[in-house]
Amino acid sequence: MNRSSLIRRTVFDSLTFGFLGVVFLIAIAQPTDRQMLELGRNSLIFLAAMVAGAVLSSVLNDVLKIRTLGEAIFAPAHKKAQLEETSWWKTFSGWQLAVTIVVMFVVALVKTKFSLYELLNEDGFAGAVRLFQGLLNPNFALLPRAVLNIIETIFMAFLATMLAIPIAFVLSFLCAKNIMKSPPAFALYLVLRTFLNVTRSIEALIWAIIFSVWVGIGPFAGMLALMIHSVASLAKQYSEMVETVSDGPIEGIQSTGATKLQTIWFAIVPQVVLPYISFTVYRWDINVRMATIIGLVGGGGIGTMLMTYQGQAMWPEVGCIILVIAAVVWAMDQASAYLREALK
Amino acid sequence: MNGEHEVVTQPILSIRNLVKTYPNGVRALKGVTFDVQKGEFLVIIGLSGSGKSTLLRCINRLHDPTSGEILFQGEDLAKAQGDGIRRIRGRIGMIFQHFNLIPRHTVLSNVLMGRLGITSTWKSLFGLWKDDDKARALDYLRLVGIADKAKIRADQLSGGQQQRVAIARALTQNPDLLLADEPVASLDPATCHTVMDYLRKVNRELGITVVANLHFLSLVREYATRVIALKGGEIVYEGSPHNIDEAWFARIYGEGSKEVHIN
Ligand SMILES: Nc1ncnc2c1ncn2[C@@H]1O[C@H](COP(=O)(O)OP(=O)(O)O)[C@@H](O)[C@H]1O
Ligand SMILES: [Mg+2]
Repeated sequence: MNRSSLIRRTVFDSLTFGFLGVVFLIAIAQPTDRQMLELGRNSLIFLAAMVAGAVLSSVLNDVLKIRTLGEAIFAPAHKKAQLEETSWWKTFSGWQLAVTIVVMFVVALVKTKFSLYELLNEDGFAGAVRLFQGLLNPNFALLPRAVLNIIETIFMAFLATMLAIPIAFVLSFLCAKNIMKSPPAFALYLVLRTFLNVTRSIEALIWAIIFSVWVGIGPFAGMLALMIHSVASLAKQYSEMVETVSDGPIEGIQSTGATKLQTIWFAIVPQVVLPYISFTVYRWDINVRMATIIGLVGGGGIGTMLMTYQGQAMWPEVGCIILVIAAVVWAMDQASAYLREALK
Repeated sequence: MNGEHEVVTQPILSIRNLVKTYPNGVRALKGVTFDVQKGEFLVIIGLSGSGKSTLLRCINRLHDPTSGEILFQGEDLAKAQGDGIRRIRGRIGMIFQHFNLIPRHTVLSNVLMGRLGITSTWKSLFGLWKDDDKARALDYLRLVGIADKAKIRADQLSGGQQQRVAIARALTQNPDLLLADEPVASLDPATCHTVMDYLRKVNRELGITVVANLHFLSLVREYATRVIALKGGEIVYEGSPHNIDEAWFARIYGEGSKEVHIN
């Protein structure tokens, strides 16, 4: 067994065993809220449980020759190939998986305060019925305003996409491994990749909150949030396209004495233009949907309007807004699907 | 010194002790030395993996040689850097097994790529070609008999036609040397001869020196003025194509190999 699969097996097993141990401990000791908040001490306990789990994993696999789940998942392919078929309930790893999932399920029920009582409680239920009645009888007096607002949303998404295109276009070449080969270029590639990954992992919603503090609540903040997110997403998709281009045309252009920029423009760009357009159309489509959500935190457009009426429990008005959103999202979805199909 | 019988010609290309070791440790060329005279049609033969492509790509610096000299018109290409490499490439045309055209561009636009080396980057990005460049591109398309296809997308052409476009592209560079890496290996036998005939025409009528990698000995005998055989990154034969007898053939391609004919 090689080192990396050994490490993965041990980490996986120590996590599952440690988790089970800690849950068991909590069930027995019934700690108070205060005790649960002592992060430092509790981390140590969890760490100790994980170490015990790691030892257990090693003992089971290497001494008792009982295959744990970690071993079953991360063993190298040639070892997996030698296994015989056995029913899962006859194996230790099968039970390890089943028990872990059942315990996770129970913990989840407790944590989400899952309650059938609340779900079927008469008062609550009556409220929900009122809400649905409102939604099903939309107040079309609000339609003109809703249409104006969703137009704002559509253009907010459009501007965010348009502004993101040139930035993502330039970044896509700087983030492509096959272009950034020399050591200094590769260093820049790593920095940019990391930067974009971090940017992308921050939800557009969070960016909207950041920008609404920066430039004030409204569509401008929402547009900036969408733009940042679009740059990161498009740059990643674009650069993946650049990494799959064929080398032939590149060599062909290079051999004529072309500069780096000419090589990119004549040998690479023609190969990626169609997928770029396709990704971009799809991004606009996604941005319209995201813009609606961003509006909920004050990013302007139809989302903000939805928030206002929902806060006052004006369900027929909310029904009208939701209808408009649904119609536009459906239309954009269809249009972008047809466009992308045609661009293949 | 007894120089009476020696013809004193300056070779156009002179390769000295060329070594290429790839980053993964493969020693593709182990000290190759030979001269190319002006106007020659030199053919390099050898099994696949013997280092033919590596050799050509070191000459125009698509690959960086590890050590050795590549003297071309008095300049050591092995030492060139940055813009120097681009200038060298501009003076040396290259055609490839898979043509390496830009599929979505027109034939004419592909041929104009040959002018990239001497056109400013910004002008070329906006497609602002000089009339002179366009006229030259059309001239060379005419030379390879394909001028009527100038406005057609390159990927609409057959393989043989694409290779002729690639030849026109290389000629548009106005090169002193033409490298050809298995120019007919992905063409059918009939088209093969058409393309080889154009290469010979370029060599004889325009006086451009040609260095080509070829697979089939029958083609070698028909077109080469001189042959070099590589084996495992070393030269094992150098001479006239007509002196390659069965014994030589076995040395180059290994015992038990048989010559395949192509007509
Ligand atoms: N980019 C590369 N990186 C590493 N090894 C390579 C590369 N290109 C070619 N080689 C190796 O160098 C040797 C010579 O290859 P090549 O010059 O392509 O031979 P030929 O053109 O005669 O078939 C082969 O062993 C091949 O595997
Ligand atoms: Mg080759």
